[in-house]
Amino acid sequence: MFKHLFKLIWNKKKQNFLLMSEILVSFLVIFAVFTLVVYYYHNYKKPMGLDYQGVWVINYSNSYQTKNTDSLNLYYSTLVQTIKSLPQVKQVSFTADNTPFTQNMNTGGITFNNKKMDGNNWYTVDDNYKNVLNMDLLEGRWFNKGDYATKSKPIVINSDLKEKLFGNGSALGKLIGDGDNKSKMRVIGVVQSIKIKGDYANTEAGLYQRTDTGSFRWLGKMLVKVTPDADATFEGKLYKTVANYMKNSDVEIEHLADKRVSINYFTLVPIIVLLIVACFLIINVALGLFGVLWYNINKRRGEIGLRRAIGATGNSVSSQLVFEAMILATLSLIIGTFFAIQFPLLNVFSLPASVYIIALFLSIIFIYLLVFVCSLHPGKQAAAIYPAVALHEE
Amino acid sequence: MIRLQNIEKVYRTSTVETLALSSINLDIAKGEFLSIMGPSGCGKSTLLNIMGLLDAPSKGDIKIDNQKTDHLSDKQLAAFRNKKLGFIFQSYHLINDLQVLDNVELPLLYRDSTAKERKMLATEALEKVGLANRVKHFPNQLSGGQKQRVAIARAIVGRPEIILADEPTGNLDSAMGSEILDILLQLNQKDGTTIVMVTHDENMAHKTHRLVRLFDGSQVQ
Repeated sequence: MFKHLFKLIWNKKKQNFLLMSEILVSFLVIFAVFTLVVYYYHNYKKPMGLDYQGVWVINYSNSYQTKNTDSLNLYYSTLVQTIKSLPQVKQVSFTADNTPFTQNMNTGGITFNNKKMDGNNWYTVDDNYKNVLNMDLLEGRWFNKGDYATKSKPIVINSDLKEKLFGNGSALGKLIGDGDNKSKMRVIGVVQSIKIKGDYANTEAGLYQRTDTGSFRWLGKMLVKVTPDADATFEGKLYKTVANYMKNSDVEIEHLADKRVSINYFTLVPIIVLLIVACFLIINVALGLFGVLWYNINKRRGEIGLRRAIGATGNSVSSQLVFEAMILATLSLIIGTFFAIQFPLLNVFSLPASVYIIALFLSIIFIYLLVFVCSLHPGKQAAAIYPAVALHEE
Repeated sequence: MIRLQNIEKVYRTSTVETLALSSINLDIAKGEFLSIMGPSGCGKSTLLNIMGLLDAPSKGDIKIDNQKTDHLSDKQLAAFRNKKLGFIFQSYHLINDLQVLDNVELPLLYRDSTAKERKMLATEALEKVGLANRVKHFPNQLSGGQKQRVAIARAIVGRPEIILADEPTGNLDSAMGSEILDILLQLNQKDGTTIVMVTHDENMAHKTHRLVRLFDGSQVQ
């Protein structure tokens, strides 16, 4: 029977072309949607790598300007002590603008073994950064005051960069960068990569370089870890304390938890838009499929009547029509899979191959379900055709 | 072979009730070639459909090969039609998207048979109707007479005991009509197939064993 149906479909390829094209286009759109959904879910399941609860970001500008390093040290040490003296403050850390959950980025290349690798995040942070964000240290250690006078500049890298540079080997003590050993940077620790762009974004390779009070004037943000009872009243108090201290500075306080929600929305908006478009397309395709199958049945009433006359039961006529629709879907899916499989093979968009494979699998199931559901009712209608009536109509 | 007792067929709509057949009693013996004649709308095709189990009578009994058919399920009816009956229609009812051989094989798809068996039986049936050289053609590449011969091949491929032909020459000119009738006569004489044929052609009807005439749903001869 399969061969017979295949022959029937093949001989009607011109009539079936439009329906097959419709299924193919829907499959490709569904594949795109599922790829994004699977990718986001894949990222969502990964650990965040930091603890954002109770971490506030203080943005400041026009900070204390002097070329005297001792004065700078004193200015910022006093600021840190002043903030830390507030009972609800647990930790304070200075950092550059690329704090978690912002769109700010600072990327650059890294040379290792004369091979340059671009697109790595550079984070300028102080000794308290790891504790404020409660980051996981996987190997080695975080920065401390002793790193001020080391021969090679110490850096901490994240697990993504470690994998990129060293694979499964150890990273500790390795020198990275151009030039002689003095100008190279030495890896002193490896931390778990953090999802800096929110829950649905992937982790990215990055390295942390140390800064201290002498260089804080170049930075623009403080991260403050507060106790759970820190409320709006305390936020006001903290604001006043910082604003009074940094007289000419524009001070603003944000919560990392709110920034996470905000950046998550930013990531989710394109997929929500795509999902809405896909929903309309699916409804369109479903109605189209339903209509075409319905039309086919009305056009094929004579054939259906004949099949009943020569020995087909109502159920076998119904299953034949559903099966025909499934074969058409299979042909479209074979073509669609050929295109879809190119994405992991050619590593388009640098997504993991597993994301594409799962999305491909889900899209195939989805299209089969859609075609099955859409052909079920027309198939039942075909089974209900009375052969004597259908044969007489012809 | 076929026994119809007090067959009555009424078509009902919400407003109208039409009596299509009334008190039809008919015995058709095995190997008989019977023709049914009557003016348009007298119930010939309805009677043939009832004999072919494509339609159910409103009243009365049908026995085919001594088997009562009123209690058969859809599945049993389908199997019965497939094995015992062959149909020939005025408008051929060939599937235009299938080649001649595939059209002839159709009834065999609904029974247990291998592709090889189907091909062999279909080729044999086409040889019988003189179309062995047209197996790869599509119906729209054939003349009306050839199409009807394909339809006959399809009707006989499953070796049924009964063939029901509804105006098989209705769409053909007299020469082609005679060719088709000759084939049917041969099937009846050589293979002993029971044939019931609805026709408008008096000459053709007289070549068969018996003629039944209907008028306004009743048997008048």
